[in-house]
Amino acid sequence: MTDLVQTLIDGLGRGSIYALLALGIALIFGVMHLLNFAHGETVTVGAYIAYASLVEMELSWWVTAILIFFGAIAISVVIEFVAFRWVRGAEDFTMLLTSFGVVFVVQAFFVMYAGATVRSFPRPEWADRVWQVGDLNVGVIDVVTIGATAISLAVTAYVLRRTMFGTSLRAAAEDFDAARLMGVRSNRVIRQAFIVAGALAGVAAVFYLMRTGQARPVVGLAPMLKGILAAIVGGLGSLSGAVLGGFVLGITEVVLRAWLPEYLVGLTDAVVFAFIGLFFVFRPQGLIPVEAGERV
Amino acid sequence: MLQINNLTTRYGAIAALRGVSLSVEAEEIVGLIGPNGAGKTTLLNSVAGLLRPAEGDIYLNGERVAGSSPDAMLRLGLALVPEHRRLFSQMSVAENLKIGGVSVGAKERAQLMDECVDLFPVLGRKWETRAGFLSGGEAQQLAVARALMSNPRIILMDEPSLGLAPMLVDLIFDLVDRLRREGKTLLVVEQNATRLLQVADRAYVLRTHEIVAQGRASDLLQRDDLFDVFVGRPRGEGDD
Amino acid sequence: MRSLLAGRVGSQVVGSLALFLILVLGGLLYASVGSVTRDILVTQMLINAMMVVGIQLFIGNTGILSFGHIGFAGIAGYTFVLLAMSTEWKERVLPNAPLGLVDISLHPFGATAVAMIVTLLVAVLLGFGLVRSGARSGAVAATVITLALLFVVHEVGTVYADLTGGRNGISLSIGVLLEGRTWVYVALFASILGSRLFKSSRVGRLAQAARDDDLAARSVGIDPAPGQMIALLLSVAIVSVAACLRVFELGTVAPSTFFFDYTLLTLVMIIVGGRKSITGSLLGVVVFTAVNELTRSLAGSGSGAGPLDLVLREGLTDIVLGAAMVGFMIFRPNGLIEDRELDDWVRTRLRRQEPRPAAPGPAPAPALATLRATDVVVDFGGFRALDRADLEASNQHIVGIIGPNGAGKTTLLNVVTGLIRPDEGSVTLKDRSIAGVEPFSIARAGLARTFQTMRLFPSLTVRENVAVASLSVRAHREDGGGPSVDELIAHAGLWELRDRRARELDYGNARRLELARAAALTPVFMLLDEPTSGMSDTESLAMIDEVRRMAECVGAGVVVIDHDLGFITGICDTIHCFDQGTVISTGTPAEIQADPAVQAAYLGVTAEA
Repeated sequence: MTDLVQTLIDGLGRGSIYALLALGIALIFGVMHLLNFAHGETVTVGAYIAYASLVEMELSWWVTAILIFFGAIAISVVIEFVAFRWVRGAEDFTMLLTSFGVVFVVQAFFVMYAGATVRSFPRPEWADRVWQVGDLNVGVIDVVTIGATAISLAVTAYVLRRTMFGTSLRAAAEDFDAARLMGVRSNRVIRQAFIVAGALAGVAAVFYLMRTGQARPVVGLAPMLKGILAAIVGGLGSLSGAVLGGFVLGITEVVLRAWLPEYLVGLTDAVVFAFIGLFFVFRPQGLIPVEAGERV
Repeated sequence: MLQINNLTTRYGAIAALRGVSLSVEAEEIVGLIGPNGAGKTTLLNSVAGLLRPAEGDIYLNGERVAGSSPDAMLRLGLALVPEHRRLFSQMSVAENLKIGGVSVGAKERAQLMDECVDLFPVLGRKWETRAGFLSGGEAQQLAVARALMSNPRIILMDEPSLGLAPMLVDLIFDLVDRLRREGKTLLVVEQNATRLLQVADRAYVLRTHEIVAQGRASDLLQRDDLFDVFVGRPRGEGDD
Repeated sequence: MRSLLAGRVGSQVVGSLALFLILVLGGLLYASVGSVTRDILVTQMLINAMMVVGIQLFIGNTGILSFGHIGFAGIAGYTFVLLAMSTEWKERVLPNAPLGLVDISLHPFGATAVAMIVTLLVAVLLGFGLVRSGARSGAVAATVITLALLFVVHEVGTVYADLTGGRNGISLSIGVLLEGRTWVYVALFASILGSRLFKSSRVGRLAQAARDDDLAARSVGIDPAPGQMIALLLSVAIVSVAACLRVFELGTVAPSTFFFDYTLLTLVMIIVGGRKSITGSLLGVVVFTAVNELTRSLAGSGSGAGPLDLVLREGLTDIVLGAAMVGFMIFRPNGLIEDRELDDWVRTRLRRQEPRPAAPGPAPAPALATLRATDVVVDFGGFRALDRADLEASNQHIVGIIGPNGAGKTTLLNVVTGLIRPDEGSVTLKDRSIAGVEPFSIARAGLARTFQTMRLFPSLTVRENVAVASLSVRAHREDGGGPSVDELIAHAGLWELRDRRARELDYGNARRLELARAAALTPVFMLLDEPTSGMSDTESLAMIDEVRRMAECVGAGVVVIDHDLGFITGICDTIHCFDQGTVISTGTPAEIQADPAVQAAYLGVTAEA
């Protein structure tokens, strides 16, 4: 039983990060029908901000976290403005490749100006602490991550449901042209979607980086892929599905890590990817079919 | 108020409108009738900004607006109730109305929402219901109410009675009449030509992408060759 | 005509040879003027060219975006190394390799063959999902499956060090070195030829039609899956051999050899050159090999040349590649060459001398066949689109369907052609039930249709548009009769335009093409959905004759939906008027026009009536 609870907390801790990333990806997909591979670059940017802030400027993690948060929003908006805005309404093929290309541009930028080698930065000293709660060993970082994620999701839910801005976003995601007919400005609502997605990714990046403590140009790839898989597993049309997908992915990861034989543990990620890939091989429409809605 | 000159809009390779001209004066109800595929929806969509015309001009209150975006048209006081309504089915009645008022301030929005409930009591009863679960008649009322939320001066309606039972059709046409009495201007596309002609001031007949007849609604209604105008064959011509 | 589509093997060989020689001679010229490194560069370029040809074969012909072909390459590359490495070297480098691999050492040919087979097996498994991803789920499934492959291969390569040497990979020592480029030449030429033969083959054309418009392809009897699977297997075969060559040439294999960087490079080459064109992709290879070299040498010379130093650094290559990808997607998504091949214009010129075929006579009167829909009910959520709709049509007559918007006319057509499964009711053709049958089977059974929104295959020529319909049917029918593709094209008045791409046609000709394509199925019935939409009165009246002639020369019955009553009354023997999902009136054109129920349906009923 304690094992179960521990696994759950562990899994939710990791899953929180994926959930936040997945939600951002689902949001952008909702308004633009674009699968944003470049979403993980928010983490990459965050990583270098962390390095600059913690190592070069020796600021505290509090300040760093705030910088990462705003950095994520900034890069998200810039990418939309420079690249995605120009392929709006294009076919899937075009948008996928655009997003793919953007990843490389951002990565290569960091290779050029920060070098390809790993740069470590100090992790918060409480990050490795473990609380003893009865029989449980609860990682502090997990608790903090889950807490912050819960708050972020609550805030996002509030914004989406209760504010005019959030309502416009949801309307645009459901029927973009009808939203324009109501007076919603297309450029604005898409930019807003990227801001929200960037903010969510910023929170995710903070906790991801607290765990890993490393900056490399390719650091954004793995979280991006997990975010995308989580969003897809949850059904790309659904925001709550994306969040759920993220948590499920996190828990699956932890369970697999515990369950797999010793020599396969390093392949946990591969097993998860393989499993999802095979799932789509046998059921290309996914869990919840994405509405293609062709007019004949 | 609304002046359309020689409008030509292409839809892919198809010329969905060829040199169409029409006008709508303030506080008039103008009807647009004609068989399907004639281009009526294309015309409304071109005016509302969803389609960009290839040739011709559109003037709203003297200002040239052809090619403007839909949200710009809305802010100029022109609202469209689209074909098939296009409600946000995942959102509640209240939220649909809220979105309709996205372009006005919060206070005005609240006021307009109250007015909508007065006009359409059934919406008040179904305030939190998701729009996707409304019946046809309720949905149509919501669609019109939503358009009213931007406080428009001119309202374009695309087939408001489509798919509605006769009793609800009456409701819709009463509504159209009432809106005019409240000072709105309306351009209504309808399949149910007879009913529309009974309530409109003037009307145009659009067939195969061109205007083939126009005039006072009552005059058109009197024409005993209206069906032939619709189908495009002079009366008496032999078949096959 | 058959030879046209069977690929005229000879002309393809010549074309391939031309491409091959241009590439190779250009490379040799470049290498001859420089150092050994240039030599190596050219070899690498030729191997990359082969890899690109392989990937392009799949992406270009099917339109499915695969991020994972480099994953296939990774599987092949590692398999090759594990099998070809000498046992002594293996004992040193991979002492704990599983499956007794330490003791196996094959000749490079054998190793390549096994690598190809292993990779093909994986391709079959993944292909099962890839080819069914189609139009319904968009690119999502393909993206997930192929990305997963890429990642899994990378992860396994990085983690399973006993097998793969881990992150640093394996350096080779193979008994036979890759000396000289003979095998590279042979393999490259074979790949180019293979790809061109596939592109111009029957299977290839059918796949391209499905790529252009999946729904339309199914409606002319094409099942996209087999063609896509074949494309995948061919492409993976080429890619796997290229991977073996790459590894052989590099002398090392590591997870990073076959991961994102290489994926980006190969994709950019294809995209910029033109993903539907082999010539284009090869052009992309040349361009980006040059770009790669340029940026690498510039970056390498980072010896503090002032402001330029900020730009000329490691990573420059990837930025250029990424920017090129994004730039082309924004400005020129079809690439530099779009879909033409090097020798297209030569062949077109040669064909210009073909004589125009004579008009086909009317087909012999067909045996009586009936299309019957009975009590069909279709519910869309809460909305009843068809409410006990009936339709009976014999192939001896022309039947029309009219009615106001939302009456259910197109829905009925969709049910009959298999796009929608009815909730109740039956649909039979020649007394055999076809309700719920796959659209491509229904097309092969003899129901051809056109679309309201007009769906042609835009990048295929007029001739190819008609030919794919004919091909998809001929394999499945015993009676090989009916007019030929050329005769149909001439009959439709499109002979002069026969080699033009469908997307270049003006509206009237496009409609005629759609009609000819439907006729090419030598169908029992032609089902036309608003064929006069977008036409003026004169054009609609001209359509009467055109539809009649097409139907007569293949002996098909006609069911036509339209709003233009001038057209409908001019062409139909019987007309059904629909309203609110069911038939409200049936009769001859005269009867229908005089029927007050029909008038009411169109004009609406007054409040009092």
